[in-house]
Amino acid sequence: MWISILGLLLGISLGLLTDVQIPPEYASYLSIAVLASLDTLFGGIRAHLQQVYDDKVFVSGFFFNIVLAAGLAFLGVHLGVDLYLAAIFAFGVRLFQNIAVIRRLLLAKWTEKRG
Amino acid sequence: MKKRILSRFTVILFVIGFMVATQYNTINTSDTRDTRDTWEIRQELSREKQIHSELLSEISLLDETLGKYTGEAAEDPENILQETVEELRILAGLTEVTGSGITLEVRPSLEAVAMGTDIMEIPPDLLIRLVNEINRFNSIEMTISGQRIINTTAIRDINGYTTVNGERISTPPFAIEITTGNMEETRKLFSHLTASEIHDDFYIDDLTIAVSEPQEQLTLPPFGEDWSAAHLEALEEE
Repeated sequence: MWISILGLLLGISLGLLTDVQIPPEYASYLSIAVLASLDTLFGGIRAHLQQVYDDKVFVSGFFFNIVLAAGLAFLGVHLGVDLYLAAIFAFGVRLFQNIAVIRRLLLAKWTEKRG
Repeated sequence: MKKRILSRFTVILFVIGFMVATQYNTINTSDTRDTRDTWEIRQELSREKQIHSELLSEISLLDETLGKYTGEAAEDPENILQETVEELRILAGLTEVTGSGITLEVRPSLEAVAMGTDIMEIPPDLLIRLVNEINRFNSIEMTISGQRIINTTAIRDINGYTTVNGERISTPPFAIEITTGNMEETRKLFSHLTASEIHDDFYIDDLTIAVSEPQEQLTLPPFGEDWSAAHLEALEEE
């Protein structure tokens, strides 16, 4: 588990130190991509805790969600409809659901251990 | 198996971290970079220094007035106030001014005369440009076609005629008289105006400016009309 957090820290520090920047017009795409990846991440954690984790689903979900969300936002910009809201809504709701399930599972585990 | 999951999560988290950091960098970019070189910064500095010294001299002048007020207040307050009023009248352009200066004569260009082109009035924009060019110098007083230029003077088009202070100025030729603080300034102004690019702008409108040699004595009339202070009211005594 710690090694994953190390990965996160490594990613953040690499990003900050290299000072990579994208054009401001694309910042909204990146934020949606971050949301999509967070959604996948928590989905993966939940699946792992429920013992239904599948490597292929996880990795493909990660990339597919990012591409889909960014594509939706792109389409929205060209159609003049704020389609990125759909992505934000879907991922946001799922993120909360996943986190709720994870919390329940962890609580159940904890009480089981104590009891 | 567990190791594999961990490695996947690590990679994904790494990517997420990188994306978040990139987003952070993008959103929190600093303002436009200062790309001035040393020379531009020096010029900026010298401009600021000049403003500084001007402000300092103004402060010392005001201090002097204040000193006079406090020193002689008991003796003769009216005299001091009269003096101040007179100073302000000079500053506002309500008095006659005599000093060294030059005369500009705006004339139709030779080509226009030779071709028989109609002589048009000078456009207000061009006149404003000329006045701004002259106003680069400090302590300048000027008249355009006999109209004294003060701080509230408007040069504008009224019903198709170019006016200064609301008075129509004659079609060229007409004279612009300028006085400066001293002969040295006058010479500077003379060379500045002789070499100025404003001649090209005038030439487009079929006009030329003839700059006279610096003169020792030039007298400008005061601002003629009643000076209206629409938004100023006398302070009531408490």
